Amino acid sequence: MGMAVIKCRLLGLMLLVFLLYGCTSGTQSEQRTAPAVEKPKYEVYTVNIKDMKFVPDTLTVKKGDKIYFVNRDLVNHCVTEHSKAWTSGPIQPNGEYLLVADKSSEYYCAIHTIMKGKIIVQDK
Amino acid sequence: MNKIKPLAFKCFAALMFIMAIPSMKAMAQKLSDPEIAHVAVTANKIDISYAEIAKQKTKDPEVIKFANMMATDHQSVINQAIALVTKLHVTPKDNAVSKKYMADAEKTKKMLRSKSGKVFDKAYIDNEVAYHKAVINAVQNVLIAQAQNAELKGLLEKVMPTLKAHLQHAEMVQSNFNGHGGHKM
Repeated sequence: MGMAVIKCRLLGLMLLVFLLYGCTSGTQSEQRTAPAVEKPKYEVYTVNIKDMKFVPDTLTVKKGDKIYFVNRDLVNHCVTEHSKAWTSGPIQPNGEYLLVADKSSEYYCAIHTIMKGKIIVQDK
Repeated sequence: MNKIKPLAFKCFAALMFIMAIPSMKAMAQKLSDPEIAHVAVTANKIDISYAEIAKQKTKDPEVIKFANMMATDHQSVINQAIALVTKLHVTPKDNAVSKKYMADAEKTKKMLRSKSGKVFDKAYIDNEVAYHKAVINAVQNVLIAQAQNAELKGLLEKVMPTLKAHLQHAEMVQSNFNGHGGHKM
C-alpha cells in the first residue's frame, strides 16, 4: 500500500517535470526562432479631403511610400492626375483611395475642378 | 429730367423692398429643428431640379459638367440629411420658408424653360450664382443660427464649404460667359 503511494507520487512528479520541461523548452525554442520584426520599407501618409480641399495640398514623399486619400466631406470626390494618367474614380464620403508614390504629380478633383494638389516624390 | 432719375430709383427701391417682404417675413420666423431639416432638404431639391432642366436644355460642356455636379452633390447632401433625421427620429416639417423657396423656384423654372441656347446657359449660371448666394446666407444666418440639435447644426456647418465651392465654380463659369475667361478649369 505504501509502495503504491510512493510509485504513484513518483510518476506524478516525473510527469510534472516532463510537462514543465516541455513548456519551457518550447518557449525558448520560439524565442530563438522568432523572426525579427522588419521595419516597413515605406512611410504611410494621409491626405484628407475636407471642406472641398486636399489637406495638405502639397506632400513630399519618397518613392514607394503609401498615400491614403480619405474623403471627409459630405459629397463624392476623386483624385485625378493632371494629364489623367491615373484616377481614383469617385471616392464616397468616408471612403479612401490608396496611392503608391511613383513619380511627382499634380492632381485635381475631376468632379470639383477647383480642388487641386501636388505630390513631390523624391528618390530614396 | 434730373428729378425723374432719383424718383425712378426711389420707386424701384421701394418695389424691391415690397417684393422682399414675404421672404424676410418668412425668414424672421423662428424655425424648429424639423422645420430646419425640411428647409435644408427643400433647398437642395430645388437646385437638383434646376440642374435637371439644364441637362435637358444645354449643349455647353461646362454647363453640363456643372449641372451634373449640382445634381450629384445636392443629392449626397440630401442623403446625409435624411440619414441624420432618421437617426434623430425627426420628421422634417413643412413651413413658411420652405413654401417660399418652392414658390420662387416654380417662377425660376418657368423662366429657365422659356429660354434656349446661350441665353439659357447664361440664365442658368446667373441663377446658380444668385441662388447659392441666397442659400449660403440662409444657412449661415438662419438655419445654423436657429438649429438646436448639435448634430443638425454640425451637418449644416459641414455643408457650407460645399456651397461656397459651388458658388466659386458658378462664378468662374459666369466669368467665362461674360468674356473674362481668365479662370479656365
